[in-house]
Amino acid sequence: MRNYDLITPEGTKDLLFGECIIRRNIEKTLLKIFKSRGYSEMITPGLEFFDVFNLNSPYFPQENLYKLTDSKGRLLVMRPDSTMPIARVVATRLRDTMLPLKLCYNQTVYRTEPALKGRSDEIVQSGIELIGSELKIADLEVISTAIEALRSFDMEFSIEIGHIGIFKELVGKLDVSDHIKEKIRRNIETKNFPALNDLLDSLGNSPVITALKKLPALFGGEEVFEKAEELMPDEKIKRILDELREIYRDSCEICGNAGSITVDLGLVNKTDYYTGLIIKGYLQGHGEEVISGGRYDRLISEFGYDIPAVGFAMNVNGVAKAIEKYGILPSLPVPDVLVYAPEGCEVEAFRTAQEFRDQGMIVENALYEDLESARAYAIDKKIAKFVVVDSKSYEEEME
Amino acid sequence: MNKPIRIALTKGRLEKDTVGLLEKLGFDCTAVREKGRKLILPVPDGNLEVVLAKANDVITYVEHGVCDIGVVGKDTIMEMDGKFYELVDLGFGRCKFALATKKDYDFYSGYGIKTIATKYPNVSRRFFEKKGMDTEIIKIEGSVELAPLLELADGIVDIVETGTTLKENGLEVIEDVAPISARLIANTVSLKMRQAEIENLIKLIEENL
Repeated sequence: MRNYDLITPEGTKDLLFGECIIRRNIEKTLLKIFKSRGYSEMITPGLEFFDVFNLNSPYFPQENLYKLTDSKGRLLVMRPDSTMPIARVVATRLRDTMLPLKLCYNQTVYRTEPALKGRSDEIVQSGIELIGSELKIADLEVISTAIEALRSFDMEFSIEIGHIGIFKELVGKLDVSDHIKEKIRRNIETKNFPALNDLLDSLGNSPVITALKKLPALFGGEEVFEKAEELMPDEKIKRILDELREIYRDSCEICGNAGSITVDLGLVNKTDYYTGLIIKGYLQGHGEEVISGGRYDRLISEFGYDIPAVGFAMNVNGVAKAIEKYGILPSLPVPDVLVYAPEGCEVEAFRTAQEFRDQGMIVENALYEDLESARAYAIDKKIAKFVVVDSKSYEEEME
Repeated sequence: MNKPIRIALTKGRLEKDTVGLLEKLGFDCTAVREKGRKLILPVPDGNLEVVLAKANDVITYVEHGVCDIGVVGKDTIMEMDGKFYELVDLGFGRCKFALATKKDYDFYSGYGIKTIATKYPNVSRRFFEKKGMDTEIIKIEGSVELAPLLELADGIVDIVETGTTLKENGLEVIEDVAPISARLIANTVSLKMRQAEIENLIKLIEENL
């Protein structure tokens, strides 16, 4: 018995017409921006060996992966991310290529999300990877690409930067178990001030602890750097802060009035993955970040090639949602011409239609036997020109 | 004027406590007090909009960003989890999660796997996982106290305020699981995009707790 033949699996959906136009426009715009900055597109397989994602640093919990086996019984996953496969390619086929490498992609990733939460298991991500440079200008290049990408949607946007090094240095000075460190990290990530304060109070009192307590509150504009300056207990952290401040200032100048640049020193997600800069991007009125990225200098070394990298991924579904909600919806293209031919004149009709198409018009051949049905179709579809091809061909301009 | 900040309140006691707090801050909450059956209500002088929802839904609405901030119990946060900022412990709505059994029942004795009845399976699972104890967890929707009385379960994990219901049914708390109170949560993007407004409101709230 078939129970599921008329529906799609949870977390997936069919996109129709206008939804496709929005989706494809975003993808086209992003790829065009990336390519105009010298990024080359890559397509990696939708199926990968589980091992590619089963590494130490970026943690993909196995319960969030779509798994299957190949004909030899080996464990495969539906690609949950594009950065890992690209790292795999860089460490193998692109190993002898001159650095830096500038790569971009636009492909679907699959992750199981909790049911009934209104989330998608199938997300299109469009992003860049800049591989082989640890310079500040590489960070700026990625931020500046993110700015250009967000600006292209004509909506209010904001880019937020942070630096994982500050948290790592601070927490490294605490003599506590990894379990406690993870609890501190989690409370900073969720800006859970009550729990963070309770936890840190139980560890005594020191400049490091005071700084950790304040970390999640250190977000906003340039004033954040001044506040942070006073709190940071040592020179190394101050240096990181100075670097980030320079990036912040440069980013503000690059961005101009197009959007806003903010900083959040409490961005501490994926601490094992990021090694420096962290980037997030937001669109007004969309409840989740649409850009997520940063510097991950140790990731490619998991595949045996020790080179730095920085990049971001844009959640195309998220952008599409934001545009559908707040932006201008595209109207479906209406054919310019409908060509009708009675039996016997079909070949002539296709030739006529092609002539119109060669002039750049959208042309349909009417798929009806009688003229009246064809005309009714033209009226229903709001097609402006109705062309009849028979012994005495003529054109009709519709309303 | 800007779009109002939308605040989702958990219907019932937390709603009353929060409205009391908002009034203490000097906001005119007449519309919320005289709400009738309306679910979205203005607090005009505060440029706020109050949304009344069930506890779990407060989290859902805030997570999706259709409400900017919300007031919800730590109990719901612990059970549901999700992606949002948990900014302030509001101090009211205090109670606790506790493990309770029939009076004088020796819960930890024997090697048999214990059965727990609860409305909060995630909280219960985590509590016993931490102890390294395998348990069988049964989700109950209504009065959980019934389960041990009917001998479906060895114990319950539930919210305890005064303990009167437990006592009247011959049950007792044998262990506290976690303290609970109302929390102010915020959508991760709203806090960033509307930082000044939300931070001002939080400052006002913290000064008046």
